[in-house]
Amino acid sequence: MTYHEPSGLPLLIANLVVDYGAHRVLNGLDLSIRPGEIYALLGGNGAGKSTTLAAIMGFVPPASGEVRVCGVAPGSAPVQARRAIAYLPENVALYEHLTARENIQYFLGISSERRTNAEIEAAFNAAGLQEDAFNRRVAGFSKGMRQKVAIALALLRHVPLVLLDEPTSGLDPRATQDFNRLLGGLRERGSAVLMVTHDLLSAADTADRIGFLDAGRIVQESVAEGPDRYDVRALHRHFARPVAA
Amino acid sequence: MSALTLIARDELWLMRRSRVSVIAAALLIVLVVIAGITSVAHQSNVADTRARLQAQVDEEFDNQPSRHPHRMVHFGHFIFRPLPPLAAFDPGIDAFTGNAMFLEGHRQNSANFGDVRQSSILVRFGQLTPAFVLQTLAPLLIIFLGYGAVARERGAGTLRQLFMQGVSAGTLIAGKLLALATVAALIAIPAMSVLIFVAAQPGAAAGPIALTAAGYLTYLALWSIIVVLVSASVARPRNALLALLGLWSVTVILLPRIAPDLAATAVPQPTRLETDLTLQRELRAMGDSHNPDDPVFAAFKQRVLRQYGVRRVEDLPVNYKGLLAVEGERMTSELFDRYASEGFARQARQSATMDAIGTLSPAVAMRRLSMAAAGTDLAGHARFLDQAEAYRYDLVQRLNRLQADAVSFEDDAAKSSDTAAEQRSRIDPHHWHAMPDFHFAPPEPGDLVRRASPAAVMLLLWLLVPALLLAPAARRLEGVRS
Ligand SMILES: Nc1ncnc2c1ncn2[C@@H]1O[C@H](COP(=O)(O)OP(=O)(O)OP(=O)(O)O)[C@@H](O)[C@H]1O
Ligand SMILES: [Mg+2]
Repeated sequence: MTYHEPSGLPLLIANLVVDYGAHRVLNGLDLSIRPGEIYALLGGNGAGKSTTLAAIMGFVPPASGEVRVCGVAPGSAPVQARRAIAYLPENVALYEHLTARENIQYFLGISSERRTNAEIEAAFNAAGLQEDAFNRRVAGFSKGMRQKVAIALALLRHVPLVLLDEPTSGLDPRATQDFNRLLGGLRERGSAVLMVTHDLLSAADTADRIGFLDAGRIVQESVAEGPDRYDVRALHRHFARPVAA
Repeated sequence: MSALTLIARDELWLMRRSRVSVIAAALLIVLVVIAGITSVAHQSNVADTRARLQAQVDEEFDNQPSRHPHRMVHFGHFIFRPLPPLAAFDPGIDAFTGNAMFLEGHRQNSANFGDVRQSSILVRFGQLTPAFVLQTLAPLLIIFLGYGAVARERGAGTLRQLFMQGVSAGTLIAGKLLALATVAALIAIPAMSVLIFVAAQPGAAAGPIALTAAGYLTYLALWSIIVVLVSASVARPRNALLALLGLWSVTVILLPRIAPDLAATAVPQPTRLETDLTLQRELRAMGDSHNPDDPVFAAFKQRVLRQYGVRRVEDLPVNYKGLLAVEGERMTSELFDRYASEGFARQARQSATMDAIGTLSPAVAMRRLSMAAAGTDLAGHARFLDQAEAYRYDLVQRLNRLQADAVSFEDDAAKSSDTAAEQRSRIDPHHWHAMPDFHFAPPEPGDLVRRASPAAVMLLLWLLVPALLLAPAARRLEGVRS
């Protein structure tokens, strides 16, 4: 993979258009993320956030425009692009018949990445999964526990691009704080993070940039500045009443 | 471990964890084993019985006292069809066609005493043979174990997470296929053991057995591919199950059952009664050897007299009645042969229709391959009938010749009124010993393979279709939204 090319940004989206049948969901989306950068994507329900992620992963073909993951077009080389991505879905799907540890081992085995048991446990701890759950079948897990297993998996995949779809939606406030710390770790590792969220405060705490998606494109973007980083009140006003395109 | 083997292993592990799957698979394997054992036992039983009965009737024939040769023509002879070794695997139509024949002068009898006519109604539901279990039940098990292979992951959302680990849909499908093929192999092991046992029997030939083994392995592989293909092509496991069960009922249950009916409609075969009636009519038209004014036999008489250069039949050096019997048998047999070959031609056309229907169902192709290689199909039966008729004709004509050569015309003519003449017209029993016994000549192995190969080609084509559809299915799967 060509990570070091100029065009080899972890994520590059230019003028992306995506249609679901006659319904245009993304309409000229531009979005690039540098290594080690955390980008929070906000927007109302149905704005096209999950669709953006699906297009990045090659599950939705672009009608026009460009998507590149480390220089690779996921539409034409999905397998290659996906190897560079870790993904935390909005609704985490795990193998119910396997334990938390077995799930991780299986998925890592599929991606041919070797991690020691200690590394896996460290990831569980970092994700905040209680220890007595490591070797339990996930069939009995709560939404938040599943979320933590999937977060651990994303952490264990050492990849240039991490996609998070509402990562804190099932987490309690403490776990949310833990998670925000994890993002810092990903930044240090040099991974680019694209995080879809409705949690404005978390975004303001962690993101280097915050973009608002409306009517299929980024209508406003704020960059963290100074010790206060963002004018959260202004962000909130914007978030609550997004402009119509 | 590679992603492929990891996926296959997990799929197998999941099957093993499901009690229903394990019981179903174990049940089927046990069924194959039981079918193999009972079928082999039944076959050797039948073979023993037929050999014993054949020896018994041969001896009875040989032990007849001094008789007039024509009495022996009507005493007749029984022959039995020995079963080919592969009948232990696939008895084919043997249970239905009958396997014993009564041979006598002036007529061609059909084979009698098929198991179905003799035993309880249970046999009609289909014998438990390895062929039946593999053709009919094994696909059902493969469907039940495999329908969810891909569709289940798609429904649960784990498919997307799998793809996000950078696995290709091709690898995923190959892994699932490997798991299902492993189950298919487990079913195949007892079946192949039966074939190996059969191969060790006297008279067994490697070619047809190898073709049978290859055919069933192809058939099981074919179903594994179909199941994974459907599972990868539909959105929900339930839909995959319904589609596969529909496919199974039509191709495995319905088409093989209606194929013979369709063939019979396409090429109507007159009933036995109709055939007998027209045959009798033609026989009567042929002439009457007992009527001195009959033109056909009057001409024959003139020909014989001329040939021997005498004026009266009494002056012939041979018994004219014997010559008459030889000629009569020749004429009636010619007529019978014509009817028989017309019948076989119709059956061959019906078989061709069945072949055409076989293109619609791999199960029909598999059945035809299996029976043809075993020699238990219609062609195998026809071979028995052919040899039986040749033997009957030879036996009857030998007896007729004996009448011509060993019984004097005077005695023959006077035997009903003169007891001394009647005594003299009886000939010594050593003549019965001299008659050849019936020995069925089994088909050449190469011949069986040749007969089975059209169905084998059809099966391979069937394998090709879903195999070629796998690649586009994988491409579609790789881009699925959920
Ligand atoms: N598979 C699909 N087929 C057709 N339309 C779809 C499909 N998935 C999403 N859409 C439509 O595309 C639009 C964007 O959906 P998307 O899921 O991307 O929104 P979102 O921003 O993630 O919303 P939320 O905040 O509720 O998660 C919506 O109008 C939705 O109805
Ligand atoms: Mg969404």
